[in-house]
Amino acid sequence: MIASGPAAPATSVSVRGLTKSFGHVTAVRGIDLEVRAGEIFGFLGPNGSGKTTTIRMLTGALRPTSGSVEVLGTDVVRHPDRIRCRIGYMSQRFSLFEDLTVDENLRFYGGVYGLDAATFAERREYILRMAGLTDRVGELARNLSVGWRQRLALGTASIHRPELLFLDEPTSGVDPVARRRFWDLLTDLSEGGVTLFVTTHYMEEAINCTRLAFMNRGRVIADGSPREIRDSLAEPGGPAPSLEEAFVALTTRTGRR
Amino acid sequence: MNPRRIRFLIRKEFLQLRRDPTLIRIALMMPIVQLILMGYVVAADVTSLPTAVVDLDRTTVSRRLAADLGSSGYFDITRRPGAESDLRALFDGNVVKVAVVIPEGTTAALTRGEQPSIGVIVDGTDNVSASVGPGYALQAIARFNSDRAAAMGLDLSAAPGLDARIRVQFNPTLSTVNTMIPALIAALMLISMGVIMSQAVVKERESGTLEQLFVTPIRPAEYVVGKVTPYVVLASAQAAVVALLGMVWFRVPFNGSVLVVAAGLALFMLVSVGTGLLVSLVSRTRAQAQQTVLFVMLPSMILSGFIFPVASMPVPFQVVSRFIPLTHILVVLRGAFVKDSGFGDLAMSFAWLAGFAVLIFGAAVAATHRRIAE
Repeated sequence: MIASGPAAPATSVSVRGLTKSFGHVTAVRGIDLEVRAGEIFGFLGPNGSGKTTTIRMLTGALRPTSGSVEVLGTDVVRHPDRIRCRIGYMSQRFSLFEDLTVDENLRFYGGVYGLDAATFAERREYILRMAGLTDRVGELARNLSVGWRQRLALGTASIHRPELLFLDEPTSGVDPVARRRFWDLLTDLSEGGVTLFVTTHYMEEAINCTRLAFMNRGRVIADGSPREIRDSLAEPGGPAPSLEEAFVALTTRTGRR
Repeated sequence: MNPRRIRFLIRKEFLQLRRDPTLIRIALMMPIVQLILMGYVVAADVTSLPTAVVDLDRTTVSRRLAADLGSSGYFDITRRPGAESDLRALFDGNVVKVAVVIPEGTTAALTRGEQPSIGVIVDGTDNVSASVGPGYALQAIARFNSDRAAAMGLDLSAAPGLDARIRVQFNPTLSTVNTMIPALIAALMLISMGVIMSQAVVKERESGTLEQLFVTPIRPAEYVVGKVTPYVVLASAQAAVVALLGMVWFRVPFNGSVLVVAAGLALFMLVSVGTGLLVSLVSRTRAQAQQTVLFVMLPSMILSGFIFPVASMPVPFQVVSRFIPLTHILVVLRGAFVKDSGFGDLAMSFAWLAGFAVLIFGAAVAATHRRIAE
């Protein structure tokens, strides 16, 4: 369902002054973001920095307190329903129906996104192969190992071929081998033209992103390619710090929650 | 609303239900266990039964008798209809549980040294008052007789006095089960919709799938319909089990109108669904949901007349019981099953039920809609 023709915007996500308060707590404080089509956009920050809240507002699941959100050229605050079929979302909890089988999970999401029989058959085949689950279609989701569940969740989140895929800490709690394999899948998706918006804790994963934004205490404190961010923190004449060091330096500078 | 998406939601819910055979077994076993418990074990102390006195004699003696009944503490004389034919409406409308009829000429017969009969009619649909009402009446009348004999300085054998004729209206075999089965249908509906459905919604929130569903094209209204439908089917199956078991095994007679029962249950279904949704809204975890349900259920069971008759509760609790939906559906179901009460007789109960249905279901759907959209 990739939009074709000149109407496809070069900007996938455009956020201005986005703010979200829950009672007295302000989780997101007036952030600006710009994600271009085709990017792998890494959204980094410590726990509680406001990453998940931001993603939920971008997907239209949560109404912002103030600010504007434009996703794929649509005003999400006003018309959250219009982007549903064009975006995908995978949460850190993988959000599978654990008491349904692999096949039943796929069938449910395929039905919800309104895939016709032929498209569904093709997507099901692709996802099963991609996730390595071809021999386990009848297995209950709860009986799958974490790596499998993660790949199945990626499959269900992208069963409708979204143009833009949000992934909220998709690799948390997954072993390094499975993580590597997962990122290979993400790279494949990106090469297929899908824009990716990924949050993560792991700096070695951030390297895979084409652009990064650092978030701390509800604010975006740095924004740029991994190279740019490292260079911006280099001592004059000294070597550029690693991404990990840059992250720690930035976080410390702006204080922890 | 997109019917195709709703269909997928319903199918998913049924698949999940099927994966939990324990739940289905409990849902269908519950009626049987409850029947045995309620049908055979219940007994309670009863006072202040609402009573009608039809005094056709209109003498000082008959007024004394009525006063004696009232002061015994067991009967609360709330109505004094002029004719015996007025009683039917009072019983049907659940206004009184007991009626005492003092025929014309009672005093004259007493004076002649005869033993005139006093009619005591009890409402058999309320098993507790029906089982103790006659006994209390006999006691009160025996005391009246001995007081009267003593006043005349005579022995009871010389002045035998009044003779009480007990008649049980509507449920002459006084079978507890006859009134418990209709009550169980409603109670189980409240339990299955309140407990099982709220658990299902909370489970979805715990696992994160709820969050996932609302980035898909599913609308909140579609979600609610998809979620509620399977449990409406389950609750209907339970009601059928109870009714079938009651009629085949316990030989409960059904004297009423199917339409009245269906209308009452439809309204109560909305109340139960609403309760379940509200519970799921205030609960973050399944354990919390369970606690909340218990908190709601316990007063419902105790104060609704499910076990203890409302009429014998202290007045403040009688007021509270009016604000419990179960109270009103019990009146409707028991009335329809045993007494063939119609919409006219049960108008008050239907009005309450309709009010609760609009209020609770409306609030629940609106709140769910908002909460899910957040």
